[in-house]
Amino acid sequence: MEPGWVCRIFRDWAVCCAGLLAVGGQPAAAAPQVPTAGGARLDQLPQQWRDDRGDRLPLASLVGHRVILTMAYATCHKFCPATISNLGRLQQALDARGEQVDFVIVGYDPDSDGPATWHRYRAHRHLNRSNWHFLTGTPDATAQLARQLGFEFWKYDDHVMHDVRVVVFDAHGVLANAIGSGTRDWSAVL
Amino acid sequence: MSIHTPSRWRVAALAALMAGALPSLALSASTATDKDKLIELQKKLDQSIHMIDALAGRVRELEARQAAVAAAPPVAATPAAAPATAEPAAAAADQRISAVEQKVSQIETANATRHSDDSGLPLHGFADVGVGNRNPYFPTYKGFYIDNLDFYLTPHLGEHTRALFELNNEVGADGSVGIDLERAQIGYQFSDRATVWIGRFHTPYGFVNTAVHHGAWINDALRRPAFLQFEDHGGILPAHTVGLWLTGSEHAAAGRLQYDGYVGNSQLIEGGVVDMRNAGNAHGKLIVGGRLGYQFEGGSLDGLTAGVHAFSASRIEDDLPIPNATRVTAYGGYLTYDSDQWEHNAEVYFFDDEDLSGTTGSHHSNAEYVQFGYRVSWGVPYVRFERTDLDQTDEYFLQQISGGSYQRAALGTRFDLDSRSSIKLELAETHLTDRSRERFAEEQFQYAIRF
Repeated sequence: MEPGWVCRIFRDWAVCCAGLLAVGGQPAAAAPQVPTAGGARLDQLPQQWRDDRGDRLPLASLVGHRVILTMAYATCHKFCPATISNLGRLQQALDARGEQVDFVIVGYDPDSDGPATWHRYRAHRHLNRSNWHFLTGTPDATAQLARQLGFEFWKYDDHVMHDVRVVVFDAHGVLANAIGSGTRDWSAVL
Repeated sequence: MSIHTPSRWRVAALAALMAGALPSLALSASTATDKDKLIELQKKLDQSIHMIDALAGRVRELEARQAAVAAAPPVAATPAAAPATAEPAAAAADQRISAVEQKVSQIETANATRHSDDSGLPLHGFADVGVGNRNPYFPTYKGFYIDNLDFYLTPHLGEHTRALFELNNEVGADGSVGIDLERAQIGYQFSDRATVWIGRFHTPYGFVNTAVHHGAWINDALRRPAFLQFEDHGGILPAHTVGLWLTGSEHAAAGRLQYDGYVGNSQLIEGGVVDMRNAGNAHGKLIVGGRLGYQFEGGSLDGLTAGVHAFSASRIEDDLPIPNATRVTAYGGYLTYDSDQWEHNAEVYFFDDEDLSGTTGSHHSNAEYVQFGYRVSWGVPYVRFERTDLDQTDEYFLQQISGGSYQRAALGTRFDLDSRSSIKLELAETHLTDRSRERFAEEQFQYAIRF
């Protein structure tokens, strides 16, 4: 390697990082409103789901408390971990209020991620609270739920291409709010 | 005609109009995006509910008036009859309104649960462009470049039949844009344990060749290791095979056993580039290979995958007037660690090739890389080291334009702008170690999207 290569690499690197930080520090435009999928109801969604223990869990059975729902796949390391982490912060905020809310994570890829996979997933990440539900359905039910709730996704071999999206149902099971990529303050939806 | 009749018919007519209008509203928005459609439906539903409320008020007003008129002549005799008549009338109105609301709800449910047309073909893909002091694949060029416009098609064909097509518009070594049917595979999925594919597929060796396809966005690094590039982008391995591929996985103990076996047309070196022989080869010789890996799930090793791979192409010729022929045998291993925080990959390849032309005997070469990546909220910075030591008396490497040995160190990062676009930077130093002793530095920028 040429002498001074390391210095030149890090000089160029520092210039690039400074540029990125300058760009990233610009005030963002106002986040677009996240569509809420038109007042969908929990009891109108597909109901044939199994949780990570293999037990049936109809979504309609969760009516009575607010429900925060998202979709994910177990080998996602791009956006799903951040989404789950943000849901954890919402849980903390709700705990502070003393409000009981159900968190539902529906698997995008039931062919790859069954109940056993989700069981390992939640154990590995210490997501063991009883109000957190990791659900697996049939491919058709998964696609239908995604359509009804506005979760756009497609499979690229073993990868699932998807956006960041979380929806919030009120205590009556009616879709009330949604969180998307542009949402800055997740707690505002509560 | 009583005063009830026109009001009842108006409410029923309005409900029928909404029942007819809502599907057509949905249809009229079919060309818009799903999000636009949902917003539009929500607006229309809100308007409908307002209309129902207004109608309900009007019905109550009319019925109260009628009750008042009916009770008016014997005013002194039955003053209490007006409220008694109004209550059943109001209850009847409430029932009719509830029926209308239920009908609207049913229409909404039917529309929301309506399956999309299964004969449609969703079109998705990737694209990337960039700029650098050297083209990342053809280092004799400098400046701005277009790379791929990659279309990915997976028509839904039924419960077991699968199909996958990856049609890539890409820039070649001569700067021209060509269209490559990079993958064209039709398969049958017996179960999670076994899917059989026939067609053109990414040869299942190592990790990168089947994890990082033609869409640049999917790769956290700006590019693949040079020796593992696609054939027409400087790679030295048969990245594509035209043949038959059996693949599957099985849950086992603390993870998943992954396996692949394949057979296909033995390749040809044409114009200095490995060609996978889409239409077959002249001699009918085959490439045969397999890969076995274990992916740990849960526990302290969650995210770790280790595996071995091997293939043997029984006869790879070149396109010289008196062609050389080589039996290429490659084997090696791979190790990946993929977690929420880390993304590390390493692969090693050993070549034991035999000159079938009978002049130079056996040859041994090797190629390897290791990459370390760290996931942060905005992207993935990474560092990578690559090295090949290729026997230049081995005709398989000698006849390839990119068959020379090299070393490369690279420092890069991926920066996610949003969930569908990213920019990548890479700084690299490359040292050619046998055909020339050239060293050059690279500064690369890439803008990659998915759609």
